[in-house]
Amino acid sequence: MGDANEHVIGEGGQFHVTDEAVDLSIYGWEDWATFVLFWMLAAIVFYQVFTRYVMDDPAGWTEEIARYFLVAVVFIGAAMSVRKNNHIQVDYFYRLIPAKPARVMSVLVDIFRCVFLGYSSWLCWLLILRIGSSRMAIVDLPVGWVFGAMLVGFVVMFLRSLQVAWRHWKQGYSVLERPDVEGSM
Amino acid sequence: MTGGGMMGAFVALMATGLPVAMAMAGAALIYVVVSGNIPDFVVVHRMYGGVDSFPLLAVPFFIWAGNLMNSAGITNRIYNFALALVGWLKGGLGHVNVVGSMIFAGMSGTAIADAAGLGTIEIKAMTDHGYSKEFSVGVTAASATVGPIIPPSLPFVIYGMMASVSIGQLFLAGVIPGIIMGVTMMLTVAYFAYTRNFGRDVPFSARKLFKASFEIVMVACVPGTIWLLWTMGLPGGWATIIALGLLLVLDKLFNFAAVMALLTPVLLIGGMTFGVFTPTEGAIAASIWALFLGLFWYRTLDWRRLIKVTMDTMETTATVLFIVAAASIFGWLLTVTRVTDAVAEWVLAFSSNPNVFLLLANMLLLFVGCFLEPTAAITLLVPILAPICVRLHIDLVHFGLVMVLNLMIGLLHPPMGTVLFVLSRVAKLSFERTTIAILPWLIPLFITLGLCTYVPSIVLWLPRQFF
Repeated sequence: MGDANEHVIGEGGQFHVTDEAVDLSIYGWEDWATFVLFWMLAAIVFYQVFTRYVMDDPAGWTEEIARYFLVAVVFIGAAMSVRKNNHIQVDYFYRLIPAKPARVMSVLVDIFRCVFLGYSSWLCWLLILRIGSSRMAIVDLPVGWVFGAMLVGFVVMFLRSLQVAWRHWKQGYSVLERPDVEGSM
Repeated sequence: MTGGGMMGAFVALMATGLPVAMAMAGAALIYVVVSGNIPDFVVVHRMYGGVDSFPLLAVPFFIWAGNLMNSAGITNRIYNFALALVGWLKGGLGHVNVVGSMIFAGMSGTAIADAAGLGTIEIKAMTDHGYSKEFSVGVTAASATVGPIIPPSLPFVIYGMMASVSIGQLFLAGVIPGIIMGVTMMLTVAYFAYTRNFGRDVPFSARKLFKASFEIVMVACVPGTIWLLWTMGLPGGWATIIALGLLLVLDKLFNFAAVMALLTPVLLIGGMTFGVFTPTEGAIAASIWALFLGLFWYRTLDWRRLIKVTMDTMETTATVLFIVAAASIFGWLLTVTRVTDAVAEWVLAFSSNPNVFLLLANMLLLFVGCFLEPTAAITLLVPILAPICVRLHIDLVHFGLVMVLNLMIGLLHPPMGTVLFVLSRVAKLSFERTTIAILPWLIPLFITLGLCTYVPSIVLWLPRQFF
């Protein structure tokens, strides 16, 4: 926040920091999809609180549907961190080992990530086939829709992980090896 | 392959730098595929089950409320309030730093966010006024750790989920330790101010101090008013709306600095202790309040900023809850393969004295906290440590506070604390000098930790009044 040259406490002895400018071009299409889901989730829970505390007549379906929206927001939203490659990770050992083995280890991490996310996408599909047609608890809809959102999330994460792996391969390093370089995109 | 092998695979995968969530779920997947006695799609089904929870809905909304409040307009108000309250003391901006962080702790639930966002402002304000970078970084880092101790707190929500403990009780348990942390840190500032002859940063103004104190009284009056209206027979929702409406009228008249911001934790804690709402509903209400303040009252949010704040919230929510999802399959497998039992037997064979266990747990948590992000550490360690606590009759609310406090101190602790890195970048101070700068600030934190670990009633007194 704020301009680097200006003091944060002005002449009047008061704080006057300002917000930095917003850049919306950094977001990918999947982020906007999650954004819509998040606002739908917000609308549902606001409606729930409103009906419970102001109308004194809580709506029954909101709690269950809100939970499903949370699942969708988490698994599709996780794609953003895969793309930016900033999921919580431990890069401590990269400081201790030489560059060559670090490169090999970083490539292995990229490969494992792609395999894991690809395989999990397949597992989501299996899950839909096995129990996707059972019904939700309160609302009469197939629970497979929620698994479907998970499937979409894992597939997007898988595709983004391929993209990130390819980028690391081409540039010859990853954020694990050079934490000072901010991840692009 | 055994459960122990799965644990080993997880540690190895994590050490290579694979994201923690994928290391957990990946190790679980390897175990399931190799052992072949559970169908493999159970892995994603368990991950789904880990997130499909109403209490966890508190996570995105606490993050959102905190992010919405974290705009320049509200930040200025809070710091000006802190400046009026304690800025006139010797070493004033150090005190302002601690008080400001405590107020922000009542609006947001994380430490690293506080360190990065507010740290920039706090450090700049202090260095502008002639404080050394070392002193500024030290007090900023130490005061950032109070964020998840004073409610609301994300680590407490996650811990409550994992250990099946009431999140409301955990929130209340954090209040007194949070105040103790604030007091010990302000004493440390005062000690530095005395030994280094710091001057006053702003002149003493009785009028400003009176106004700031008046605001605190106003904040305290709001829950009382709601309760009064409620006993007169109004439904809780309407009582709250009327009380807040009155407050808004007063705000127009007196132009309060921080009343609106201070109100968030007060209403949250009040609502939860009297069982008016669950932490999830409290988080939702806090978001509505923050949206109202940002969009209509202070008008600090335009639509572009609202989009950015929402995107930031989604990102944090997804990364944190993705770990929770992965931990639910990993923790479940640790339990069914009896790894947790084996660890418990091993620890209890070593010592069955709760005090010895707490000491060992503190050391383990401090160590883990240096390497692992707090929520990741909680999801990993709760399934292992909580059963031991139950066997030793250690209260899980007490242990939750000890755990989170440890993990927060771990964020500052050499060699690896995350807050160290964030602040050394913010202050443009080398990592080594940042580490040394923070060392004296570990003293008040360790004092608080020792008190909370070995005098459980400090932690448990307040929750026991209500639950």
